[in-house]
Amino acid sequence: MLVVGAGLIAVLATRPPAAVTEVRSPLVGNPAPSIRGITVDGHAYALAQPPGTFVVLNYFASWCVPCQQEGPELVRFDFQHRQAGDARLVSVVFDDTTSAARSYQATLGATWPTLADSKGELALNYGVRAPPTTFLIAPDGRVVAYLVAPVTAAGLDALIARAKATGA
Amino acid sequence: MSRKHFPLWTVLAVVLVAALLIGGGVFSSSSPSAAARAAAIESVIRCPSCEDLSVAASSAPTAIAVRAEVSRQVAEGRSDGQIKEYLVARYGSAIVLEPATTGWAAVVWVLPVVVAIAAIGLLVLVLVRRRRRGDGDLDADVRSPDVDPVLLDERRRFLTQSLADADAEYLAGDLSDADYLALRQRDLTRLGLLASTSSTASTASTSVRDTPDTLDATTGTAASTDPSKGPATARHRRNRRFLLGALACFAAALIVAVPLFSSNRLPGQTATGSVNLSPSQQLARSLDQAAAVANTGQLGQAAQLYQSVLSAHPDSAVALAQLGWIEYRIGTAGSSTSLITDARAKLDQAVDLAPGDYAAHLYIGTILLAHDGNAAGAADQFRLFVGAGPPARVLAEAAPTLRTAFAQAGQPLPAGVPAG
Repeated sequence: MLVVGAGLIAVLATRPPAAVTEVRSPLVGNPAPSIRGITVDGHAYALAQPPGTFVVLNYFASWCVPCQQEGPELVRFDFQHRQAGDARLVSVVFDDTTSAARSYQATLGATWPTLADSKGELALNYGVRAPPTTFLIAPDGRVVAYLVAPVTAAGLDALIARAKATGA
Repeated sequence: MSRKHFPLWTVLAVVLVAALLIGGGVFSSSSPSAAARAAAIESVIRCPSCEDLSVAASSAPTAIAVRAEVSRQVAEGRSDGQIKEYLVARYGSAIVLEPATTGWAAVVWVLPVVVAIAAIGLLVLVLVRRRRRGDGDLDADVRSPDVDPVLLDERRRFLTQSLADADAEYLAGDLSDADYLALRQRDLTRLGLLASTSSTASTASTSVRDTPDTLDATTGTAASTDPSKGPATARHRRNRRFLLGALACFAAALIVAVPLFSSNRLPGQTATGSVNLSPSQQLARSLDQAAAVANTGQLGQAAQLYQSVLSAHPDSAVALAQLGWIEYRIGTAGSSTSLITDARAKLDQAVDLAPGDYAAHLYIGTILLAHDGNAAGAADQFRLFVGAGPPARVLAEAAPTLRTAFAQAGQPLPAGVPAG
């Protein structure tokens, strides 16, 4: 029993703490499900497939504190890449009212498309469990990263650089 | 077991198998309706945003979306497997509440069947061996020449007592002449057989006991053995080795299985998990984990942890105060008025729930001073903070802020606050 106990302690104690950054997803490496719907402003939107640029797909809610933490970082990322045109943002409302999400995005200064997803279909298509969740989609339309924590502009840039290095 | 009972067991087995087949729907010719199929699938699909609830049992928006998708795909004529594959391709295999039938998870399905078959096999083996000993021969186990003398003595004492009991019952009039004679005849016969076995065993043991003496004489050593325990000791050794081997296999399997099936620890989570913790201990540990994460500067994750605590314990003043403080810090960093307002509401709620909690008063006082510039209001809160008896370390860390507030308010520092 001592051996069992020592073995269990060794295994459990040396396991790394859960990293709430990039995690495994069955979608990673596969073609991204289609992204289409109605924006919080009432306009129809559909992302081309393949998109031709990197796309950061961000699921959020106005009531979600970590989303509020990452909001300014998304604005920074959008500002940095808007001119270059090498990456763009698409947000999807997760478990929130359209009016609250629209107000939140306006306060944040988000000018990129924000899809309402009132029936949760986009969340289901991407297997989203809770906000914030972010996917990075490569120009060829493959999902290359899945993140379940507040993102940063620098972190997204690093993921894009890694994807480019691996031929995405 | 008596041979005449065998048909009864057969009948029971047939009834059991038939019941299982009928209950399992093997003979059912009607296919389930689309609604029944959807309900069956929903009952084994995990709600994506819940803890261990099926989508059938949850009203979360994610569960509603999954239910709608399942119904849609059932209506389109997709099979149960295809629908599950669709969900697994998006959420991962954990979305299905039933363990997978492939890979390591298949052990969960195979193991009970293997254990059941082994148990039935063992039972059959025992019953067959008993039957082979002979139904009428009650002393077959003590008929062997190398029988354990202790067992022989026990059987002799039992038969002697049985004879004495029969005498007593006969004298008391509880036994008829015929029954008494039959019993007496049977037990005396068995005793006679035991006596002959005993003499054979005694001879055998004597010859075995002589051997070591001879050896001792030639080698000059003082070894002594108990021949009656020879076979038993060897059997015990075998049993012990088997037990140790089984334990070693179990330990190895456990050590291999833990890293395969266990999930990663959260920051600050202990290696032993939450086994045997009371609800209050679990709450305290969750709060400790959240505080540990907050101390590392991961405010977003800490906020998530505190929100998890509040979803399970909505009246946790500590979680409310700490989450309120985190929201205030994030709100000030992002210039979010709504977040700061929400933070203040949580802190007020924490004070309402636990007026004696020092942390909420400290946070409210700090916000009043730093955000509102209300030194007098801050001093009132800090007075409550000091009165609540905070730990010396917390008081020392807060002292500069307290001194600033009381200086700006033109009020004397409360007793106990380091003057700086």
